[in-house]
Amino acid sequence: MSDVLLQAENVGIRFGGLQALEALNLTVRDKELCCIIGPNGAGKSTFLNVLTGTLRPTSGSVRFLGHDIAGLPLHRIARLGIARKFQIPSIFPNLSVEDNLKVARWGVPSPGRPVRELLDLVALGDRAAALAGELAHGQKQWLEIGMALAIEPRLLLLDEPTAGMTPQETLATAEMLLRLKGEFSIVAVEHDIRFVRALNCETLVLHQGRRLRSGPFHDIETDEMVRDVYLGRR
Amino acid sequence: MALDRNWLLIFAVCVVLAILYPLFADGYQLTVIRDALIFGLFAASLDFFWGRTGILCFGHAAFFGIGGYIMALVTLNDAIPFASLLGVLGAVAGAAFVAAIIGYFLFFGGIRGSYFTIVTLAMGVICQQAAVSWSSVTGGDSGLIGIPPIAFDVGVTQVDLSQDLPSYIFVASIVAAVVLALWSISRGRWGTVLTAIQDNEVRAAALGHNAPLRLLITFVLSAAIAGLAGALYVCMAGLVAPDLSGLLLSTEVIVWVAVGGRGTLLGPVLGAILIQRAQQTISSFNPSLWPLLLGCVFVIIVFVLPDGILSIYARLKSLLRGRRRAQ
Repeated sequence: MSDVLLQAENVGIRFGGLQALEALNLTVRDKELCCIIGPNGAGKSTFLNVLTGTLRPTSGSVRFLGHDIAGLPLHRIARLGIARKFQIPSIFPNLSVEDNLKVARWGVPSPGRPVRELLDLVALGDRAAALAGELAHGQKQWLEIGMALAIEPRLLLLDEPTAGMTPQETLATAEMLLRLKGEFSIVAVEHDIRFVRALNCETLVLHQGRRLRSGPFHDIETDEMVRDVYLGRR
Repeated sequence: MALDRNWLLIFAVCVVLAILYPLFADGYQLTVIRDALIFGLFAASLDFFWGRTGILCFGHAAFFGIGGYIMALVTLNDAIPFASLLGVLGAVAGAAFVAAIIGYFLFFGGIRGSYFTIVTLAMGVICQQAAVSWSSVTGGDSGLIGIPPIAFDVGVTQVDLSQDLPSYIFVASIVAAVVLALWSISRGRWGTVLTAIQDNEVRAAALGHNAPLRLLITFVLSAAIAGLAGALYVCMAGLVAPDLSGLLLSTEVIVWVAVGGRGTLLGPVLGAILIQRAQQTISSFNPSLWPLLLGCVFVIIVFVLPDGILSIYARLKSLLRGRRRAQ
């Protein structure tokens, strides 16, 4: 069990009268790639917020390398090695692409890849001097992935990384992540099935805050119940 | 890079002008510019915080006043040796201390934006009221008078700043050195991260940056320099009064920064000098006209030149380029 990086046990969260998440379990091993999918309102983003420590679960626990991370300040969580890409592109629009990546590297005591390498990795090598606010939407998403990589994470959490991307950009993003697979653990929350299919990894399906199915994507895709939920039949 | 070069160029031109000025000015004009420069330093201190964090402090005169009163109390006390030096240090430390306490609760309490502005506005009013009410120490409404000019020993020679020219040189060098130092801090790593925090604080924190601490340190540094300006001013003017920590001065310094160009550090110094110059000229034929004009100038600047007077050249250039393209 020594290679367990992140362990969520029996996580439940209640907002007033709404049980947003109930009895969720997730184990992320070192250098593992996994996806969390589900229709809108299934609790994907809420679960991700619990996993990053920004939301404290009302029951259960989330442990990263054995430490309880609920309620830690954001910058402490980042320094533990948890990087996060937000759902809306969260970049620094008034800084150049290069400065965005520099700021990301300065945030942690021992940053990883040099800026040049990060730029190439997220296909922004020729836009280094551009203001980040002027990038196209898909490029902003990539820049944010690059910033998350700059802190040399142990665990990368991606909240709908392909939201608003064209199909080509979506596939390019999946390839980018597959190239990084094996360097650190990645958890991606998505509802774009093409993207998850391209990643083809362990997948957890949420529905109304509960686990509906989990297993390799191939099994999930052929599951009758999952198809029903996605098509809105239940 | 080009922006850096332009800034240094304008800075160098200002330094040359400041060096040449005594050749053409009489003693009175020198003291006028000297006092304006001190207020320019005060404006630069506000700009260092406001310009880089986007958070407006509406009570910055509180720090100016705290610095002034501490300097006055130390130098008026005959029992204290090295009074000028200790007074300046005390003024800087006192302003920084108050900023650290207020800033700690505001920044770590998540207070930002207009809420920060409102709380600092109240802080300024409290400081002014304290200066008026605590009359056994502060002299109440009439303040303290007879503050001696700065004097200290350098090796065997005594520097005495009671004369116009030495005091002008002293103030001008301090202003130039501090503005240059603030500029080099704010263009490097420190300033870049502050811009990032201004753009998206949550993102910066999620990358490992301790945003509240960085804002706090910037605020404390800004207040310390405001305190230094206050200390210099009371020694040159020879008196300290509650107005120096009041709402009017807090408002004026915002206008100086806005007119000169927020985030440029040099612009606010020039803005302070220009506006005080205009104030003296206009008040000389009608004293009640000035506040009206000041308000109008502020409104016009905000609408027409939101980046301040230093941006006039860039604006004209882009305007001409646009016209040429249209033809």
